Amino acid sequence: MSALTVEDLTKRFGDVLAVDSVSFSVEEGEIFGYLGPNGAGKTTTIRTLLGFLNPTEGTARVLGTDVRDRKALVAAKGRIGHLSDDQAFDEQATGAEILDLHAAVKGDSRRDELLDLFDPPLDRQVRDYSSGNVQRLGLVTTFMHDPDLVILDEPTGGLDPLVKHRFAEFLRAERERGVTVFLSSHILSEVRRLCDRVGVIRDGRLVTVDPVETLLSRSGKVVRINSAEPIPVDFVDIDGVHDLETSVSDDQNADPDAEFTECTFTFTGDINALLGRLPDRELVDASIEEAPLEDVFLRFYGGDEDV
Amino acid sequence: MFEFARYDAAKRVKGSVYLAIGLSLLAAFAVWAYPSYSQAMDMGQLREAFPEPMIQAFNIQTMASLEGFLSVELYMFGWVILLGLYLAYSAASIVADDIDRGRMDTLLSMPVSRPRLVFERFAALGVPILAVNLLTPVVVLVSADLIGESLSVADVVALHLLSIPYLFACAGIGLFASVVFDRASIAQRVALGATFGIYLIESLLRGTDYETLGVLAPMRYFDPNEVLLDGTYDLAGAAVLLGMTATLVVVSQMWFVRRDI
Repeated sequence: MSALTVEDLTKRFGDVLAVDSVSFSVEEGEIFGYLGPNGAGKTTTIRTLLGFLNPTEGTARVLGTDVRDRKALVAAKGRIGHLSDDQAFDEQATGAEILDLHAAVKGDSRRDELLDLFDPPLDRQVRDYSSGNVQRLGLVTTFMHDPDLVILDEPTGGLDPLVKHRFAEFLRAERERGVTVFLSSHILSEVRRLCDRVGVIRDGRLVTVDPVETLLSRSGKVVRINSAEPIPVDFVDIDGVHDLETSVSDDQNADPDAEFTECTFTFTGDINALLGRLPDRELVDASIEEAPLEDVFLRFYGGDEDV
Repeated sequence: MFEFARYDAAKRVKGSVYLAIGLSLLAAFAVWAYPSYSQAMDMGQLREAFPEPMIQAFNIQTMASLEGFLSVELYMFGWVILLGLYLAYSAASIVADDIDRGRMDTLLSMPVSRPRLVFERFAALGVPILAVNLLTPVVVLVSADLIGESLSVADVVALHLLSIPYLFACAGIGLFASVVFDRASIAQRVALGATFGIYLIESLLRGTDYETLGVLAPMRYFDPNEVLLDGTYDLAGAAVLLGMTATLVVVSQMWFVRRDI
């Protein structure tokens, strides 16, 4: 059964079409990433799922509840955890007071365990919190009532690397327990680390829904090579090389059409095959990095016209 | 139930104590100043010395008795205007400020309906309203006794009781502004402007052909002079104020439940 279903969801603000007929579903016990650049419509989708915004057209179901059914949605929220992209709490209150309020309304069976893990400063007033501490407190309020479905909008923003790592492990363990996770992000590497499937949204439209492996093979790597000696251009004459740029450094006497000492390209093939072809030359520098998200969108999902 | 009312009420206690102390000081000062005024001048002439619009605006009936003096200096000014505006202003931030600062998403991600949230947080305004109306009458009666004037305990108590629905009605105006406007600063300004505007319309049009325009003004249904000078308690007026409050709360709930946040 699907824990979350989005059916032709459209949200319009005046003339602006923020979400354009988006449909997808998230299965129980999966971590689904909602990936897109800032302003793509991720937060609007999420805020519609939680009933903060009314859909212009279409609808969505969370844990089987139609988000347009206000009363039923309130009841369903007892089994949903939500972390906003701009999480904010009463600044006059201490972390402990905030948690007490949340506990009184929805329960706190996992409070202690989560406090051990994320450790926000409970005795301090929220006004003195750093953004990372607000996020830690938000993670506790999101999971404290042991929800079946969690909806996280850019959950790792503001977290330091250690807590980020702890959060990733925690999220995987939650999935093992059967919790369904829907998380939005604009960072490809984050989605790759955490998610099973990914929906890609751009300009309000869902471009694709793929298993994370498919997305990765499509998105490719940015390869940079800087060689001390010229390398024949044949080396990069294989499938999967895109946006190739080559150059020869001034001190080398080489034909720029046949050889290069520096090159940059995006590679979508098997990286082992590529490295196997690399001739035995002395390298100055080499790097293989994840492609920037925007490039991935432009190359594989096209611009506005041809999506 | 009532988790949000309890939470908000607890948060309002400290400010309410300061508010009650401040208004009690104003009350004590008004009572303390009365003998020196009344000895220094003819209080009947003092009333006449006010320009007509002020007599009209403050509904100054007489200043030749402590009751009349307090009606004007403390209750018309302190209660009807100052406290009325304060509650409208305060209520205006109930919803708008949380939306403004992104806290509304956090609140509504809990299993709570919007109408319930609005009602509970509005109800928590009972803390400042009760606090000022518990402390001030005691201060008024004790200070009157200290300067050797006697005030009717029943009238003073009744006046403060009758002010409770009036203050809730003013808060209702603020609440409505709060659900209509996203920005707390705008909601607060609109609430202040509307409440004061209604007050001016009601007081300046009184006795003119346009008097009926004041029918929606909470101030029409709460008259300190009537209670302190005549000892008559306008229970029907109090009922109208409660009805007005209920209407404003329900309309605010309906507005809030339908809108995008």
